[in-house]
Amino acid sequence: MHAFHIHYRNTQGTLMRILTAVSRRGLEIPYVVASASGHGHRADLLLDVNAKQIGQLCRDWHAIVDVIDVRVGVPTPEMLESATGFSGPHPPASANASGRSAAAMA
Amino acid sequence: MLKGAEIFLKCLRAEGVDLVFGYPGGAIMPLYDALEGSGVRHILTRHEQGAIFAAEGHARATGQVGVAIATSGPGATNLVTGIADAKMDSVPLVCITGQVRSALIGTDAFQETDVFGLTLSLTKWSRLVRSIDEIPQVIAEGFYWAREGRPGPVVIDIPTDFLKAKMEFSGPVKFSPKPRPSDTKADSTFADRLITLLQTAQKPVALVGAGAKLSGAISELRSLLDELNIPTFATVHGLGAVAPDAPYYLGMVGMHGTRAANMALHENDLLLVFGARLDDRVTGDPSRFAPNSKIVHFEIDPAQLDRVRQCELPIIGDLAQTIPSFARKVRGAKLPDWSAWRTVACGEDRAELDPRGLSQPTIRFLDELFGRAPKNSVILADVGQHQMWAAQRYCSDLPRGFITSGGLGSMGFALPAAVGVQLSKPDATVVCVSGDGGFQMNIQELATVRRLNLPIKMVIIDNKYLGMVRQWQQLFYQRNYAETDLSDNPDFVEISKAYRINAVRINEDVMREYPVTSETADALEKFLRSSEPELLVFDCAPEANVYPMVPAGAALSEMLFEEE
Repeated sequence: MHAFHIHYRNTQGTLMRILTAVSRRGLEIPYVVASASGHGHRADLLLDVNAKQIGQLCRDWHAIVDVIDVRVGVPTPEMLESATGFSGPHPPASANASGRSAAAMA
Repeated sequence: MLKGAEIFLKCLRAEGVDLVFGYPGGAIMPLYDALEGSGVRHILTRHEQGAIFAAEGHARATGQVGVAIATSGPGATNLVTGIADAKMDSVPLVCITGQVRSALIGTDAFQETDVFGLTLSLTKWSRLVRSIDEIPQVIAEGFYWAREGRPGPVVIDIPTDFLKAKMEFSGPVKFSPKPRPSDTKADSTFADRLITLLQTAQKPVALVGAGAKLSGAISELRSLLDELNIPTFATVHGLGAVAPDAPYYLGMVGMHGTRAANMALHENDLLLVFGARLDDRVTGDPSRFAPNSKIVHFEIDPAQLDRVRQCELPIIGDLAQTIPSFARKVRGAKLPDWSAWRTVACGEDRAELDPRGLSQPTIRFLDELFGRAPKNSVILADVGQHQMWAAQRYCSDLPRGFITSGGLGSMGFALPAAVGVQLSKPDATVVCVSGDGGFQMNIQELATVRRLNLPIKMVIIDNKYLGMVRQWQQLFYQRNYAETDLSDNPDFVEISKAYRINAVRINEDVMREYPVTSETADALEKFLRSSEPELLVFDCAPEANVYPMVPAGAALSEMLFEEE
């Protein structure tokens, strides 16, 4: 596992461009956190990738107009723990007696 | 107070746009309503894909930003192939799509599509306009990114209510990006390091790609190559960058490249790459690509470096700057004598095509056609066998003289792209070579050709197959010609006449005469010199193949040739 830290300007679609660079390679994203950081935003990702994919991803991310900087590092224990800490699915609530859903069904 | 649509068009004019291609519809109607008197000429195509390919043709022929307009929903989705095409081939393009009213976004309204999300991975930059105030800034930024660095496609999606709303307009704005600390450019030491590499090389070669042409540094590149005098070859998009009669030039490289170019690319020990991506059609099996080579890569887009193999010397920057820097150092440097290597690489025993290939009627036809075309001709090729034959036989030194969909390989590209080229270059002879499969993918643009009376010279190489797929089926799928038979093609001559366009049919047998008869020569001359749109259907053998061919997954040295 490798940790990636991408500093970016939070403009329309930039986070999605960062993520589609991963998804187009069929990779899963076990951990991703995006948050404000300094003057921009920062996305932290944990990915299971080989050396060639690291190079490709870093170059593709850097080519995104609003990405400012890309760094690769060792995952923190918190990232590794979060990556395995799923607590089960949360499907949308089914219609029931509550007012809004009942009105929608009517 | 001006309407958003009027502001939009004024901003386009400020970016130098006077020609756009499009197809109207509900959400984009306010923009069309404001077109008259705006100074922007709109070309109505008969399909949105025709519009975006025409915009690409304009951009590829001129280097300017092409503009395509479509409405929301299906109009926007019909642009997607062209957007992907522009991304792959580094074409500066701005696509303007109408969107449903801002209040309806996200409600699955009539003709609502998330074109912004749909095109995220295909565009260099995109915006969904969020208020009328944003229009000037979004247009300035969109055009900046379409042109900047490695050019590419941009999408601007604008809700229809912002086009109808009004505001005070203080004029177009300029955009300057904030610099990124992580951006790197080649420093002045690269040229010295490269000279050192050259001084120890025994078999250096140069590969020229589209980036060299996009930089505009063609004369500097040619001077440099003359100085180096090393075996040189081009990608399909690099054709025209090097004078074809240069003694060191070996032609096109790659899957259907020349024997000499592929062998030199396989055998070299130092590869200078000038603006090429090194995609799989150029490298063959990446693990066996240029096995003894050190790679020096001149490239404006850092994302293209090290894709195949770690390069020895990455030179990031605009080739318009890095090539002259290097050329100055070369002039004063003492370089080895590479004449023995040049004799091997450029020798006659590595003739450009195998002798049987040169006598193939379609190749002879293209030689006759291109040889008779005026010097200012622009050749467009669609996608398939005819594309590779045309690329192999292209013999002009016009840098923007050969236009094709190379990276994405979009069938149906050539005819609408020719519309854009002819409008941009009214004095040029525009020759559009298609196959019988691809021509039918955008055949509706014959109506655009007729409406505008564009004197495009359209050629269909008709083998009544999806020829390139059939060739692969023949060679690698035991002749199982599954769903590639097009023997029920319509009569293209009659179809052309229905569009009120002149058409003739020539059978390949006339190309078996050496030289061609005066009757054939006259027909070709008349075709090329006509001031009207013309269609020529060239009936060729159903099972003619393109050779040489590097099978998928093979090394460049493992070319197939036509069997004796």
